[in-house]
Amino acid sequence: MTIAEGAPATSVADVRLSTFERLPWRRIILVLLAIVIVAVTTIGIYKTLTSPEAANYSGEFWAQLTVDGLSYGAILSMVALGYSMVYGILRMINFAHGEVFMAGGFASFFFANAYAKSGFLNSNTVVAVLIVMTVSVLVSVGVALLLERVCYRPLRNAPRLVPLITAIGASLFIQNSFRGFFGPQSYGYPRPSSLNGQVPILGVHVNKIDIAVLVVAVVCMLVLQMFVSRTKTGRSMRAVAEDREIASLMGIDVDRTIAITFAVGGVLAGIAGVLFGMTFQQIQFTSGFTLGIAAFTAAVLGGIGSIGGATLGGFLIGVLRAVGPVLILTGFGIPSVHSLNEAFVFLVLVLVLVFRPGGLLGTGEAEKV
Amino acid sequence: MTTSRWVTFTVGVLALALVSAGCSNDSSTGGASGGGAVDCASVQFGCVEVAADAPINLGTLLATSGDNADLGTDSLNGVKLAIDHLDGTFDQTDGQVLGHDVKLTNEDDLCSADGGQAGGQALAADDSIVAVIGTSCSSAALGVADTILSQKGVLLFSPSNTNPALTAEGTHQPFYARTAHNDRIQGAIVAEFAAGDMVGAKTAATIADESPYTQGLTAAFEANWENAGGTVTDSEQINSEDTDFKPVLQTIAATNPDVLYFPVFVSACSLIIKQAKDIMPDTTKIVSDGCLSSDTLKNTGDSVDGVYASSPDLSAFQSNTAYADEFIPAYKDAFGTAPLSVFHAHAYDAANVIFQAIQQVAIDNGDGTLSIPRQALRDAVFATSGYDGLTGTITCTPLGDCATDVTIGVFKAPGWPVEGGSGNQKAVFTDTKSLEDVL
Amino acid sequence: MDVRRLVRVGAICGAVTVYFALVGLTDRFAKLALVGSSVTMGRLVLVIAPLIAGYAVGRPRTRSGTTVSLPIRDAVVHGLVAGAIAGAVFALFVIFVDAFGVERVRGVFINVSPAMMEYVTFGQTAVVAALILTAASAVAGGLGGGYPVLPVTLRKPTGSAVLAVFALGFLQRIVPIALDQLNVERDWLYSRRLGGLTWAGAVVVAAIAASLSILKQRKGDRIRELVRAPSVEGSTRPSGTQIVVALVLLGLVLVTPLLVGSVISNVLGFVLIFALLGLGLNIVVGYAGLLDLGYVFFFAVGAYSLALLTGASLNTFTGSGPPAVSADLNFWVAVPIVMLIAAGAGVLIGAPVLRLRGDYLALVTLGLGEMVTVLLRSPWLEPLVGGPSGMRGVTDAAIGGFGFQDPVHFYYLGIAFVAFAAFISWRLASSRIGRAWTAMREDEQIADAMGVSTTRYKLLAFAMGGAIGSLGGALFAVKIGSLTPASFELLVSIQVLGIVILGGIGSIPGVIVGSLVLVGLPGLLREFEEYRLLAYGAAIVAVMLLRPQGLVPNVRRSRELHEEDEAQDKWAGDVPRDEHVAAGISPEGTGAG
Repeated sequence: MTIAEGAPATSVADVRLSTFERLPWRRIILVLLAIVIVAVTTIGIYKTLTSPEAANYSGEFWAQLTVDGLSYGAILSMVALGYSMVYGILRMINFAHGEVFMAGGFASFFFANAYAKSGFLNSNTVVAVLIVMTVSVLVSVGVALLLERVCYRPLRNAPRLVPLITAIGASLFIQNSFRGFFGPQSYGYPRPSSLNGQVPILGVHVNKIDIAVLVVAVVCMLVLQMFVSRTKTGRSMRAVAEDREIASLMGIDVDRTIAITFAVGGVLAGIAGVLFGMTFQQIQFTSGFTLGIAAFTAAVLGGIGSIGGATLGGFLIGVLRAVGPVLILTGFGIPSVHSLNEAFVFLVLVLVLVFRPGGLLGTGEAEKV
Repeated sequence: MTTSRWVTFTVGVLALALVSAGCSNDSSTGGASGGGAVDCASVQFGCVEVAADAPINLGTLLATSGDNADLGTDSLNGVKLAIDHLDGTFDQTDGQVLGHDVKLTNEDDLCSADGGQAGGQALAADDSIVAVIGTSCSSAALGVADTILSQKGVLLFSPSNTNPALTAEGTHQPFYARTAHNDRIQGAIVAEFAAGDMVGAKTAATIADESPYTQGLTAAFEANWENAGGTVTDSEQINSEDTDFKPVLQTIAATNPDVLYFPVFVSACSLIIKQAKDIMPDTTKIVSDGCLSSDTLKNTGDSVDGVYASSPDLSAFQSNTAYADEFIPAYKDAFGTAPLSVFHAHAYDAANVIFQAIQQVAIDNGDGTLSIPRQALRDAVFATSGYDGLTGTITCTPLGDCATDVTIGVFKAPGWPVEGGSGNQKAVFTDTKSLEDVL
Repeated sequence: MDVRRLVRVGAICGAVTVYFALVGLTDRFAKLALVGSSVTMGRLVLVIAPLIAGYAVGRPRTRSGTTVSLPIRDAVVHGLVAGAIAGAVFALFVIFVDAFGVERVRGVFINVSPAMMEYVTFGQTAVVAALILTAASAVAGGLGGGYPVLPVTLRKPTGSAVLAVFALGFLQRIVPIALDQLNVERDWLYSRRLGGLTWAGAVVVAAIAASLSILKQRKGDRIRELVRAPSVEGSTRPSGTQIVVALVLLGLVLVTPLLVGSVISNVLGFVLIFALLGLGLNIVVGYAGLLDLGYVFFFAVGAYSLALLTGASLNTFTGSGPPAVSADLNFWVAVPIVMLIAAGAGVLIGAPVLRLRGDYLALVTLGLGEMVTVLLRSPWLEPLVGGPSGMRGVTDAAIGGFGFQDPVHFYYLGIAFVAFAAFISWRLASSRIGRAWTAMREDEQIADAMGVSTTRYKLLAFAMGGAIGSLGGALFAVKIGSLTPASFELLVSIQVLGIVILGGIGSIPGVIVGSLVLVGLPGLLREFEEYRLLAYGAAIVAVMLLRPQGLVPNVRRSRELHEEDEAQDKWAGDVPRDEHVAAGISPEGTGAG
């Protein structure tokens, strides 16, 4: 088949494509999918709320679930920020970030435990917690910097597959090293007695520790936002994220900036580690892995590379996880909906990415021509 | 093209030849026999031949490494003590069976199907193995080790598998038996306790995790609970690696159960105890032996007070003075610690039942060698009746449950019978049931 | 002498030795005898880091384009110093623990036990032990430093000899069994009492290894030429030599199970199953360039579909029960159906991720793999797949009366399937589809513009990769006969990915080698089970840093995902199109194309 000389390009395309191929299939499928999702969700919610079990689900019940979700989401957000920042600057996922979080939390456990035993934790809570957090941050930052130096710096120009796999290997390595050091069992993490108990807020019983976690998380994020937008280092980070070559031409020490980015992620993860320990009062060598994947999901859901995205993603995942299965799946008569928590969250992620491949706060398009 | 085809054809023929040669070389088990009523050459599964100065080879398939190392090592210690006691006393010198030493071939079941498969294969491949004591975890036996060893005719005798499916009609493998209790009994006794005077509950909710162990227990509990007229308000399943169980607990709390039964393992169990304290403070909480450990007490601090835990009641063995006065001190002498888990006595009994069966069916060929017919050995073990073991009377059913009357105790925290437990560590409720009594 | 560098290298290696002690390696393998009774694994663990320190400072370095090699005396001295520093660091650790109190340290680091301390101090006081350790490490460092600057004719044989002795000592659980199976007398080689090699045996092994190395040096090139060259210049037909070599290899592969016995054959069976999975993932990752972190999905689909189609039953509380949906087909009838189901599932998986690239794709596939585990365990699907207790009673893959339950028979079944999958992979690679994948992988947008429908080919990749992976699942179900969700977790996806990466992305023989190393070795060395994942992680990192093209690289296919994946990011701007691929990939390559 020859191309007619001088014919405009469009008519060639028309000749080669059949009607079948010219339909906007992608659009059609997306629209259909959206309709199905909305229908399923609405029907599910309706059936749940009118089902016999729902007689027990008061407004307070849903509020309580939401609060629980927000609290877990706060911790997720802080860890997700680490993922997001590293990705923003390096375009690489630090798969081992969950272990950065676990390392700090675990290291701080020994100090926290000692202080709890001696009573220092309850008598000088603020000082004790500050020291514990400092230890956690130091260890997390140390692990993060080690990761950067060993796994990311040598592979900076490699195809994306390589550092990702390396990070997976590093994650396994760190996790099992901690298992080797400290054993496979879980350790009970102490909580200052002043943070025990609940306060009733608008009819919902909120745990004091959850409030503390939310406050600390929000403060950290605000500080981070200010750091990135106002300080010189923050500007360097944004510059390197924008365009590494030109940033270095401008005199920015790229290596140092990247290391600082990892370190900042480590600081957040370290703080999150202490918060996690005090919330759940337990830490184990596997604590970082599952949470890491959840935080990674949160970062992608929100739009990886942006601080706002990671925050939004974290809280959203937390709430979705707590409320979603109960609200939507119970209506369909599925037994033990909580066993499908993770599946539900991932399904949401996949669907979000189908419609917005860059994440919620990302661009709407995946392609860049 | 023709050359390649010809090459391919020749290779194919050669391959087939090799394969058929290899397969026909499979040696049959056992060999010629001496005298005796059993003809080793013709009987199914043949005999194990023990040479004149050779030891009798007993295999073990226990979880001796990893997270459940305590469980497996504890059972292995029980077996070693049984070998020690063959000469009548615990003197750290091993005795003999029919004039032959007993040696152990140990494999690790890794508390998983993979481990059960690999270990089972390794032991099945060894023709000198008379019987195997194992597995530690039900997941290593169910459909894996029990099938592999049954196909070879090697008895698999478990000291700690409690999953009901292992001895249920339709799934039971002919060469599998156990001295551990069947969890149908434990589930039933927990249900009885929850309905009884101490708790007086009418409604219950359960939480299981992704292991067959908890599934068996919660299923047994629910079946017996509903049969006695109680209501199950909610049945949930969690992931044992999760940390945040508040949504699950909220959902259960909304159904307002009197009792929450969550026989999961230490890590998830501790978290649930702590989180349920705030969410469901008035609900009675019951766990089982998967959670009954000093780690749980350490992890939960005050929150664990009042939580009930069910477990085989070893104090029932205390009435048997041999256990308290001889076995436990011997254990401490030989291994340097108090028993690590609860199934050492079951392993001890299993080993002794096997030794007794060997003595019953082994054929003495007169020249110092022994021939032990596999099928007869299995039949002798399954015919055990009224045997006085450390764990009580042992009578084996045709489906392999040898623990006849099982005593399960319920302990109230902080008085749990583990290190770190306070008080007299005695059960607040015990009951003894046999399989006929339960669903 | 660059003291700073020596101190740095020495300190790092000293820290590594401390790490080994803290993580329990020194203690755990203290008794594992490699040669005789004095060369134990524990001692090796103590000196291996200083040895590497010495090697690192002694070896020739490239500066400004020229390679600088130290004279042997200097190299040894450098090594001595670095080794001594490494030893000193570890010695300090020992002194610290001793001063602080072993029990107190043990409260944090559980492996610091009195027994371990006893071992590393050789029963002496801390100070004396420190001196011994430093001295021993210095010697090791010196040896390590001298080694790389030895003349080649001396270096390679020495290296081969040491490596061979170590390997045979390390594999003391496998090699003697194989020798026994072959009825070869082996007491001269392996000491029954101690477990490791005897000194005489070690000497013989070293001699043989050294001789082989010398032979390779002299004749290696000629032999390689002989094997590689076609019979007639430019033709694609194999030469006589090549046919003979191929036949010999084939023969070896076929008689292996008869030689090594059923225990090792059992492990090889798993190697073959994972090789199948690897071949499937190789199509997705290697050919089509789609990073799939959830490959366990197809493994599970294959296994459970086969079980349901061949009449397996569920494990229930009361015993066993029939699944909600089942059929009772013959294995050989069920397998094509299983492949079709997997292909369909692959299309379903592929559809939503068509537009995603790189990391996003990785995460979504990871999530889908996780979903499978969750669903298999869930009470919701319990009536279909049996929940946590799983299923049992998968039919044997019998032909007529000939069953495959025996490990040796299963091995042949596995070989047949792997050969089939390898053949399909090979044909795919050089077919139109394979070329389309290559185009897609190189530059998706241009491929699209040229009329290569990325949609179709991506879906095809998932479908075909999935179908082959499902074969692995089906074989797994047949081999074990019963299925529980515990066998289908994220770790499987990571393992399969590791096999493909380690072997060499896009390389079929690489997948086989990768499976042998990552599945075969741990399967045979089961006493190292506790450290399996640790070694795994370390191995992945090491391979990626040192030899990312894998063990048996494939020239064309070792180009990996490209930078236009970054188009998914709004911040990307203009990322420089970097032609660098990870260090070490040479255009010539060494693997079969």
